[in-house]
Amino acid sequence: MCVLARVFEEAGITTISLAMVREHAEKVKAPRVLFVPFPFGYALGKPNDAQLQHRVIGAALDLLQREQGPVLEDFPEEEVPEALVQASAVTRVAAEAVRDPADEVTTLRAFYERWVEDHGGRTAVGLCGIPQRRWRGVIRFLESYSRGEDADMNERPAGVPVPQFIRYCVDDLKAFHYEARMAQRPNVSEPELHRWFWGETAVAQLIRALAQRMNASDDPALKYVANGLAR
Amino acid sequence: MPRLETLSEINRQSMRAFPCLEPDTTPWSPLHKPLSQAKISLVTSAGLHLRDDQPFIGDPKGGDTSYRVIPSSAKPADILQSHVSIGFDHTAIMRDLNVTLPMDRVRELVETRIIGSLAANYYSFMGALRNPKPLLEGTGPEVASRLKDEAVDLVFITPT
Repeated sequence: MCVLARVFEEAGITTISLAMVREHAEKVKAPRVLFVPFPFGYALGKPNDAQLQHRVIGAALDLLQREQGPVLEDFPEEEVPEALVQASAVTRVAAEAVRDPADEVTTLRAFYERWVEDHGGRTAVGLCGIPQRRWRGVIRFLESYSRGEDADMNERPAGVPVPQFIRYCVDDLKAFHYEARMAQRPNVSEPELHRWFWGETAVAQLIRALAQRMNASDDPALKYVANGLAR
Repeated sequence: MPRLETLSEINRQSMRAFPCLEPDTTPWSPLHKPLSQAKISLVTSAGLHLRDDQPFIGDPKGGDTSYRVIPSSAKPADILQSHVSIGFDHTAIMRDLNVTLPMDRVRELVETRIIGSLAANYYSFMGALRNPKPLLEGTGPEVASRLKDEAVDLVFITPT
């Protein structure tokens, strides 16, 4: 995205940018770039670490002193290892009885609500636009689609194709589960979170089934959406 | 992110193969006033938008090159992410918006008079674009012109 820095700077606006991929930043030659050695999703370092975030911003602001560019500087702190664990890296824990994903949502709701309350109303849930009291219907729709049926929902906005709408529903279910788990286990590490989600929840099982159906199609647009559900 | 040599072979190849612009020169517009008098805006490629705004849409061919306006007065609870990529850890921004869009941090820098003032608006695009042309020729210059109209001196650009 350093290309935007070039566009703004050409228009006469001063820019400073953070870069996650040093090799890309070298090619793009944006005016003032700070390479940060953090995993994708962690541009400013760590969540809830204001001091580290200020050090990153301070290092970026320091680049304003330079008289010529391109400037590509490394943030001088230790690299942080990748914490993301994808679905394919997690083996499902065999459950004695497969839970209903809708019941699972009900079970987690108290934790989710605590998360929202503790975060001043902030939640990553909200892309599908369907209120949570109607999520049982969303889950039935997703289950029906995963079985290969011709499923749809009245709430789907006209301009959003069914697969993209499924993506929004899935993102909401993921966010709901992750936020509930973080409220339940405030000190949970990221790898533990991802392993719990993909290994132990009924919703993740449903998401895997959705991705499987889309991947079985010859339509590249469906495979593309599948790649954003689980991989 | 970890340097390419530390990534798995498949991730490294995908990063190497990503189509990047490779220009020879660099545009250069230095800040013509002290930072303590400058107006700052934030621009991110993290696919963020207001809760009631249109989410970004995935597109296998080139990517969604549209942008969303986020007033700098917005609260973290007003902001959602609809970035199409699951190649990054979405839990970081769930825990703290500032890890991607440092709204609270820049406000603190204005309150402590290190930076002059906040712009009226921040802007979000969505990265992972395989064809940046519509961005370079359309929405990028459009946002540049809005930033100019809003008398922005300095833009801090953050990825995800």
